[in-house]
Amino acid sequence: MASRPECACGDTSALAGGKKRIMFPCAGTANVGLISNAAALQLAEEGYGVATCIALLGSGDPGLKKRMADADEVVIIDGCPMTCGAKISELQGVAIDQHIVITAVGIDKVYERNYTEEEVEKVVSAAWEGRGRPGEIHAR
Amino acid sequence: MKIEVLGTGCMKCKRLFKNVEIAVKELGITAEIVKVDDISEIINRGVMLTPALAVDGEMKVSGRVADVKELKEILKG
Repeated sequence: MASRPECACGDTSALAGGKKRIMFPCAGTANVGLISNAAALQLAEEGYGVATCIALLGSGDPGLKKRMADADEVVIIDGCPMTCGAKISELQGVAIDQHIVITAVGIDKVYERNYTEEEVEKVVSAAWEGRGRPGEIHAR
Repeated sequence: MKIEVLGTGCMKCKRLFKNVEIAVKELGITAEIVKVDDISEIINRGVMLTPALAVDGEMKVSGRVADVKELKEILKG
């Protein structure tokens, strides 16, 4: 009897030639920064990659650098055109494979804590679609 | 062109299906996009990891979500 196919919703994408990703949301305090965190957590739950704290990257943590050396793709989710996440990555000498800027996805930056599931979904979809790659519509 | 997305309905299957719809729209091509969620059929097609993508019966991707750019390359042939 044939075995049941395994769903890649676990961490099996790498077995099938998928990318092992590490994601850094900018985690700012305006709505778009909060959305960056929520989107990274949702993407992690969906098996897109591992969400990690941008502050840890900024600290130059050697353990994180080892983990990053093992990753296929680094994904930065910045809230706004300040691109703090990308700047921190560059300061740490980390090459970015995908860079999503939430305001470029069509969400305005406001200094409020409110955001919607639909806004988070826009960012999550953009990542799955690969829109943060160089030359794509949401890349900087 | 017939495009099949094989998977039992998990989130990655849904993401792949959506990416296929976007790729077809951006290419401006006409294609029939079908969800295959019957586990017996998926097994019979030899898929060991879902989600999987078949184009005109030929398996192109298995076990991951191809992004829109990759899908456009696949669909352009």
